[in-house]
Amino acid sequence: MQCAESLRVQAVFDGELDAVSAAAVERHAEHCPECQALREHLKETRARIRRDLDYGHASPELRGRIARMLDAEQAAERRAARPPVRPAWRARPFWLGTLTGAGAALAASLAAVLLAPLLPAALPDQLVAAHLRSLAPGQLTAVISTDRHTVKPWFAGRTDVSPVVADFGPQGYRLVGGRADNLDHQRIAVLVYEHGAHVINVFTFLPGREALPAERSRLGFHIVCWRGGDLGYCAVSDAGWEELASLRQLLLGEAVRDAR
Amino acid sequence: MDDKRTRFEALVLPHLDAAHRLARWLCRSPGDADDIVQEAFMRAYRAFDSLRGADARPWLLAIVRNCHLSALAEGRRRAYEPLTEEHEAQQSVAAAAAAPDPESASIERDERRTLARLIAALPEDQREVLLLREMEDMSYREIAAVAQVPIGTVMSRLARARAALKALWPEMQGEPRAVR
Repeated sequence: MQCAESLRVQAVFDGELDAVSAAAVERHAEHCPECQALREHLKETRARIRRDLDYGHASPELRGRIARMLDAEQAAERRAARPPVRPAWRARPFWLGTLTGAGAALAASLAAVLLAPLLPAALPDQLVAAHLRSLAPGQLTAVISTDRHTVKPWFAGRTDVSPVVADFGPQGYRLVGGRADNLDHQRIAVLVYEHGAHVINVFTFLPGREALPAERSRLGFHIVCWRGGDLGYCAVSDAGWEELASLRQLLLGEAVRDAR
Repeated sequence: MDDKRTRFEALVLPHLDAAHRLARWLCRSPGDADDIVQEAFMRAYRAFDSLRGADARPWLLAIVRNCHLSALAEGRRRAYEPLTEEHEAQQSVAAAAAAPDPESASIERDERRTLARLIAALPEDQREVLLLREMEDMSYREIAAVAQVPIGTVMSRLARARAALKALWPEMQGEPRAVR
């Protein structure tokens, strides 16, 4: 019922074909009533849409909101431009410990990083750098609680993801709190667990298409990454492999319950 | 730093109206559209370094579209809302065309509303390519970048959207055709 040339007629109409191909289509259309009708219809649709459809403009309010948002982003970048507390930490500035409790301190601890013109560090390096930084005094948690109903809502508005939050105290993994951090252009969520004398940071973020790194160690720290739903998780700690694997299992189980 | 803001305002901000139109037509509620556009501009600003000289408009509109999809996913998690199947969408196109407009003050106004209703009732993937083509005057390649589909898919969606309108064309003609 539809002429095989119809998509090409449309492409000519949309200016997508080179002159030679367009001429061929024109020659065909001369003898094809269906394609002639199609061409008329295309013209009419375009005229009507361009004449009758409301083009609309962004409201002054929206422009104002965007200007204020840019002001805030710029201010955050300026604050982040201050020298970090531990400048020795060169291993890819994309991270810095963030949001230490009270408001003012927060700014100083924001990454130096957003500025620095950097080669993006490999994910494991960034994770270990962030983990180390979090171990500096006062850097570990911004919200301190073992209660998931306190920790989870805290992330809203501070991070781009809403992580699965659960305390596994009975199983030996005590939830001590969380914080926000920066990874590339994301504000990611970090959950902090204690396991015996070990601190485990669980980073939750939106993964790209590429595979997450396999289990590996950097500077003696162990990194275990996995996907759960549409989120990526990486646990970093000096705890043993088995211990990280157990926490992964617990969190995966929690994610399955949460996803229902 | 200031330089980044200046470049952003020169390259990206001019496409605010286009971003707003796309958001309006994707999510249909003006308030939601503003939220989506603001979110998109924030993501765009944060990712601005990744633009690297590419054309800003398809890049920005792709971000708008992604923000719309995340907002949609977020909304679905809260209140499950079934996706409109294509045949249902076609039925609603027919219903939209047939629905009488109680406040039809003038035929022209009426026609505008009918056209808007017809387009709003198209399946989202078709509506999107049609509007990017006709309102934003984008090339197939640019549309493909925004919608994140191959160019062939852009062409077939565009053809289907236009055919769907054609099927209902006579019903939206209040008067003899004047458009040529």
